[in-house]
Amino acid sequence: MAARHRSTAWLRTLTLVFISMVLVAPLIAFLLNAFARSWFYPHLIPQQWTLEAWARILSPQSDVLQAMGNSLLIAGVVTPTALLVGLPAGRALGLYTFRGKRLVEFLLLLPAIVPPLAVSMGLAVNFLRWGLAGNWVGVSIAHLVPVLPYTILIFSGIFNQYSLEHEQQARALGAKSWAVIWYVTLPLIKPGIVVAGLFAFLISWSQYLLTLLIGSGRVITLPILLFSSAAGGNNLTIAAQAILFTAPALLLLLVTNRLLSTDAVSGLGRL
Amino acid sequence: MRFKVWLMVIMISLFTRVAFAQESLEAPPGFASWDDVLSQANGQTVNWYLYGGSDAINGFVDTFYAPLLAEEYGITLNRVPVADTVDAVNQVLSEAEAGVAENSGAVDLIWINGENFFTLQQANLLYGPWAKTIPNSVLVDWDNPAINLDFGRPVDGYESPWSSAQFHFIYDSARIAEANLPRSFAELTAWIQANPGRFTYIAPGPGGYMGTRFVKQIFFELSGGQDQWLGDFNPTLYNGWAPQVWALLNDWSADLWRQGATYPANENEMRDLFANSEVDFAFTQEISGASVYINDGRLPETARAFAFTENMIGDFNYVAIPANAAHKAAALVLANLILQPNLQAAQVLPENGFGLGFGIDVSRVTETSDRLVLEESAANLGAGAADPAELAAALVSDLAAEYQTRVEADWEAYVLRR
Amino acid sequence: MSSADRVSSRQLVLLLAPALVLVLLLFGGGFAYSVLQSLGWQPLIGRTTLSLDAYHNLLFAPAYQEVFWSGLIFSLWVSTASTLLSAVLAVLIALLIHQAVQRSQLWSFLFQFNLPVPHLVAAIGMLFLLSQSGLVSRGTAALGLTTTPADFPVLVRDTSGIGIIIAYVWKEMPFIGVIVFGVLKSLNASVVQAARNLGANGWQRFRYIILPLIAPSLLSSSLIVFAFTFGAYEIPALLGVRYPRALPVTALFLFNDADLNSRTEAMALSVLITLVTSMVIGGYLWLRGIAQRLG
Repeated sequence: MAARHRSTAWLRTLTLVFISMVLVAPLIAFLLNAFARSWFYPHLIPQQWTLEAWARILSPQSDVLQAMGNSLLIAGVVTPTALLVGLPAGRALGLYTFRGKRLVEFLLLLPAIVPPLAVSMGLAVNFLRWGLAGNWVGVSIAHLVPVLPYTILIFSGIFNQYSLEHEQQARALGAKSWAVIWYVTLPLIKPGIVVAGLFAFLISWSQYLLTLLIGSGRVITLPILLFSSAAGGNNLTIAAQAILFTAPALLLLLVTNRLLSTDAVSGLGRL
Repeated sequence: MRFKVWLMVIMISLFTRVAFAQESLEAPPGFASWDDVLSQANGQTVNWYLYGGSDAINGFVDTFYAPLLAEEYGITLNRVPVADTVDAVNQVLSEAEAGVAENSGAVDLIWINGENFFTLQQANLLYGPWAKTIPNSVLVDWDNPAINLDFGRPVDGYESPWSSAQFHFIYDSARIAEANLPRSFAELTAWIQANPGRFTYIAPGPGGYMGTRFVKQIFFELSGGQDQWLGDFNPTLYNGWAPQVWALLNDWSADLWRQGATYPANENEMRDLFANSEVDFAFTQEISGASVYINDGRLPETARAFAFTENMIGDFNYVAIPANAAHKAAALVLANLILQPNLQAAQVLPENGFGLGFGIDVSRVTETSDRLVLEESAANLGAGAADPAELAAALVSDLAAEYQTRVEADWEAYVLRR
Repeated sequence: MSSADRVSSRQLVLLLAPALVLVLLLFGGGFAYSVLQSLGWQPLIGRTTLSLDAYHNLLFAPAYQEVFWSGLIFSLWVSTASTLLSAVLAVLIALLIHQAVQRSQLWSFLFQFNLPVPHLVAAIGMLFLLSQSGLVSRGTAALGLTTTPADFPVLVRDTSGIGIIIAYVWKEMPFIGVIVFGVLKSLNASVVQAARNLGANGWQRFRYIILPLIAPSLLSSSLIVFAFTFGAYEIPALLGVRYPRALPVTALFLFNDADLNSRTEAMALSVLITLVTSMVIGGYLWLRGIAQRLG
């Protein structure tokens, strides 16, 4: 019994290793391309190495650092806003049944399933009319459209498994509403907040079409630069910018993983 | 005495005509004079929307134009990278739909030509006509139909040239000897059959206008000349030759890369296929041929360029100003600046420019030192460039715009989806 | 679904209002514009009469219909295959990690690794790896299995959409996996142990304990993946071919056409895409409602 357990564990590990290699492989390809000046078939490693892409990115004339600043600013504003709006909506959908609930669910989910082109153009024209285009505020508001469905979905999933006992007990002991929220609800759903926040950030971080159209070219974020470079087909530049784009998001992933793994908050559905 | 006065009057009038020759140019619409433009431009920011995929072009604009604009004219250049010029066009269109006020547009200047120019022209969203009112416009050969027609449509002064381009080919001298290069579509057909799977072409269509050019050139060769195609769209002529062209391309299919099931969508994809030895030719439009890419490391050092003996389409690309642009004065100054001879000379050099050709006519440059710089540049296009004489001999202009639409639609229907 | 609690409608409105207002205003406004344009409303070029012509053109007119129907089938195929594969793989891997008690933290992080990677980057990465002159092909060449790029199988920019599916699975499998794994973590180990003690084998434990637990999240995340892949254009634009091509790519081509009249068809196509995904999602929600009422 133990032997069989050991061998299946070994097989499990092997499968996991293989799959992680598959998942990581394209990123390795990017890493290599970011330093490759010449790299043609059939060479497995670059024929000529260079740091010029990084020199260009970090040079004073480069717009990359400014773009990163814009991306951070916008994502940094969108995330808390999406949490603030998505949490109550997710609570309503996860905890309660009511007439028209399916319609509400459908409406709130709609932005996630409609092709971006169908929404972005109309949104851009409206924002232009309302004076919200061409600045980071307008772009941040626009980002809420693709972000909200995901935060609402995650919170509704959390509240689906949520028991109201703790809140009821606290209230029975005389706690005021805000205290119940702050000391009972939020800590209990902390993993949900972390995951929803992560998704909100990632989705805003990688928005292209919305930023392009609402930003009117005045708000340059990393995806704008990346798409522009991708059109140019220079693998060196594309790879370097792609790494610069992915790194902060990866860092955030690391941080949230730490937050999610501590004992006190383990188990999204332990409630 | 009267004779001396008369002589003086003549000399003075001659002198004034020479000295004030520039003022025979009209002022741009909405401005009193060029000086008025300069004074209004001082302190403005110009938002120039241009394709941002080329580091070389971006670097050139940032290094050559930006400092000059700031120091000599007090203008701040804001280069806005777009993945495709159509994005800038869409911005102007959206602003028009939203009713954005005059002089509040986000876009001041666009690097533009062809279909994109037409989109804005047909919607009456361009400022102008201004192209012949800027001082350096005297250097532009406006009588040349290759310049005053853009993809077959009249420019009418609504855009001003920046650079020129001509379709030709890139090959690898390590793989093919120069003597064995095909110099016509007939020879290319033979080459394809002898080397199955080693040739492809860009798919005519969105993003693939070079593929459309390639196919148009087949029309020229098969029909015996490009002259008959000039002028308005001629349906009889087109319908007469189209079946033969599709038949030829379909004949090629079996021997093409991927057996003709798919084609590279644009120049970059094709160049990557070439660099990685999947195919043996690439297309280029740059006067410096392969040189820019060799410098970048994106093509092998043995890459070279060549042209067929005839029927290589050339054209110009331009800058245009939207009607609602907020900083028209600065945009005009910039459009004038890019035509300056020394800057034009710099832009063709592969090592600091983007390798596209001159927008001005060298023969119209009067200043000798400028002439010399231009001629020197033209002689230093790098080893990867095709022989300029070859290119000049094969140069033909592009056609009326309807041919573009028809070729793209029909190619997809009769060749791709057959 | 926990017991229906007594909650005042005023409270409900307060909870839902911010989200609903934002969605209706922003999304609704944008989408309404597209619908209007799809019906022919383009005052910029002087078109103000409304009609269903664009829809008719897409479905039946010779200029569009072949591209539309082939695109519809292609998009359906790609989305369905991507979603199914992603879902199955996500569940398998989530189970594997869940059981690999040792270092499960490390594994779970590794499997989220590509969540921050944007779809465009994923597509370019697949090109780097899988094109006929890509890294894998160079690897097989080094091993002597192939000699020229043409010897390597066509995995990207192929007419069957294999490259697109691979890219989507690479990207979406971790997305579903994260959600499923999160639910699995709440699984009470003693319940599973009890089942094992009672003689339930692996499959039965999965079928009767694990699957019901993860089913809701699995289904909803899969539906999102389906809808997303059906309506996205970046990956099919880069990894697909000209024909057959995914519907969103055609929509973009039409939208950017120099002839502004094509925008009507572009928006009509976008609306049709939305209809398809809405039907799929709506169908699920309706079926789920029935299943719940049946107990």
